Amino acid sequence: MNNKSTKYLPLLVTVGQVVIFPYYILWLKQVSLTFTMFAWLFALHSFAAAFGYRLFQKRKPGTISFIYIGMGAVYVLVSLLDHSFELLLYVVLILQVFLGAMQGYFRAWHVQQKSYHLDAVHHYVIVGVTMLGLSFMKIISPVVFLGLFGGVVCLCGIWEYVMKCTLRRKRRSLK
Amino acid sequence: MLKKTWFLAILVCILGTGIFFNIPIEKRKYGLSQTNLTTDYTGLLPEKIDRVVTADNSAALQQIVKQANVEGQHISIAGLQHSQGGHTYYKNGIVLDMKTFNEVLEVNVQEKTVRVESGATWEDVQEAIQEYGLALKVTQSQSIFTVGGSLSINAHGRDIRFGPMAGTVKAMTLLTPNGDIQTLTHEQNKEQLANVLGGYGLFGVILDVTLELTENDLYAIQTEALKTTEYETYFNHVLDDPTIAMHYARVSVAPGSFLQEMYAINYLETGKQDTETPLKGEQGMRLSKLALDLGRQGGPLEDLFWTTQKRYIHSLDGETITRNNVMRSESTFMEFKKPGKVEVLQEFFVPVDAYADYMKDLGKLLSAKDKNEDFKVHNITVRYVEKDDVTTLNYAREDMLGLVILIQHGLNKKDIENAQNIIQQWTDLTLAHAGTYYLPYYRYQTTEQFQKSYPNWKTFKQDKLAEDPNEVFVNLFYDNYLSEEAAYEQ
Repeated sequence: MNNKSTKYLPLLVTVGQVVIFPYYILWLKQVSLTFTMFAWLFALHSFAAAFGYRLFQKRKPGTISFIYIGMGAVYVLVSLLDHSFELLLYVVLILQVFLGAMQGYFRAWHVQQKSYHLDAVHHYVIVGVTMLGLSFMKIISPVVFLGLFGGVVCLCGIWEYVMKCTLRRKRRSLK
Repeated sequence: MLKKTWFLAILVCILGTGIFFNIPIEKRKYGLSQTNLTTDYTGLLPEKIDRVVTADNSAALQQIVKQANVEGQHISIAGLQHSQGGHTYYKNGIVLDMKTFNEVLEVNVQEKTVRVESGATWEDVQEAIQEYGLALKVTQSQSIFTVGGSLSINAHGRDIRFGPMAGTVKAMTLLTPNGDIQTLTHEQNKEQLANVLGGYGLFGVILDVTLELTENDLYAIQTEALKTTEYETYFNHVLDDPTIAMHYARVSVAPGSFLQEMYAINYLETGKQDTETPLKGEQGMRLSKLALDLGRQGGPLEDLFWTTQKRYIHSLDGETITRNNVMRSESTFMEFKKPGKVEVLQEFFVPVDAYADYMKDLGKLLSAKDKNEDFKVHNITVRYVEKDDVTTLNYAREDMLGLVILIQHGLNKKDIENAQNIIQQWTDLTLAHAGTYYLPYYRYQTTEQFQKSYPNWKTFKQDKLAEDPNEVFVNLFYDNYLSEEAAYEQ
């Protein structure tokens, strides 16, 4: 069971991130008051991702569930943020750092998984099909997808955590 | 290097900090427009105007006024449009945009005077007089307004020794409603000046003005935290202390100490003058805006904002500052742009000895916990204004304390009606304490409240019609409170 979740959850999250990213960019563009601000926030996300990637390489902890929950929480928060909130850009600034760092961390973890190379092939195919499918759907606002995806990733995190705990208990009882 | 985790962390921190300090504080879009509706600083009272005329020279303005008399046109006068009650425009009227009429004409160091065109800002004046070691006697605490606009509302500020602004005017050049250009002085044209100063642009165009100046003294800042109940006694000591040149106070609107706590800031004479310190620019506006925005959320965040403010003010204790710099506080941090909401100012004046009772009664009227309410009070500062015998529409018929209040409310009909209702109750309370309210702000008050607050309104109106029988100079404020329909609506 755990093998299945280790196999499919990273694929789901990877595909989901790629599919959701255009919506996230749309949202980011909407909340950034200027193009310069948009570009800077994007750059910050990239630097934070590099930092997250490097951080994983340094530490390599076992579980990834908190990263799923963290990323999911960011997307859910994005979908809930009031656009007329005075401090919106300050909050976005913090979210960019967190999201970037977590994405980098996740990527670093994913490339070390056995299923990564197969996931990479599947992910390109699934993303292509999903994007084609989504292009026929009319949406009111990108935050609808961001919120939905955030919820799914949070659930993945919880699932992963529960499975890890179950596995640990089983191992202990076997000993 | 890119393999180093700390290097990447520093990169993120540097860029994050850079972005933090570059998040734009967006200026609201308001002002004169012929293609769209014209508004003032609040964006309330949008109105279609006929045309905007940029003021180039007095002869051209004279021609426009004469022509308006012949053709039955209406003229309003606009500077930077911080007056919030439609004082700067009128439906289908001509608006004289005075911002380009902004020369500082003469600084007389011997007589300590400055002659300046009315479209100049106080900042322009400060820049011209600073090098001579001179400073203004009276101006607002911010220097962003035009001279003509401030005189038309008879502004006051932190100075507690020189009375309202009207008293510092030595002479004025006025383009009268019939198109003549006159030089007015208090000695020769007392009644005319009484109407022009604090006249909201209804008695002609102020072309230039000669203002009295004083030295650019160096002050020591003295701060004190106190209870609202102690302030009346405290302030009387301040007035009796000749070493205190300027003073203002702030009242808590945080839920935990709502109207109970205050802090006072005094500017004490050091006996020194300062010719070295330059005029200060906007300092720390991003952090100030961030703090204010947090305070705007209400509840515990507003408590936190109040505590932070108190700490910051306390940290200023003992510092020195020049008179000119006291009179040019930061203003950008107050920018507010939230869809569906507006921030407006109101100011109520009460006699000094009525302050304690007034604040007690005010506590019963206002809600301390306004976090989830539409009508929110974000800030109250207290200023002193000496009795004014100079102007007709005078708000200080005796020595008064003015409460300058920053209010936020919604823009839909129900929210505006709710705000109007609260402010009208507030005005009644102020009147019951022998107080008045200030006229440069949005017109929440009824005509009856206006007439009670300004009993000289009839004289003002009669003089207006005598000097301007064709009602050439009008604005939305005039229409609302002083036109024939308004005056007798009750």
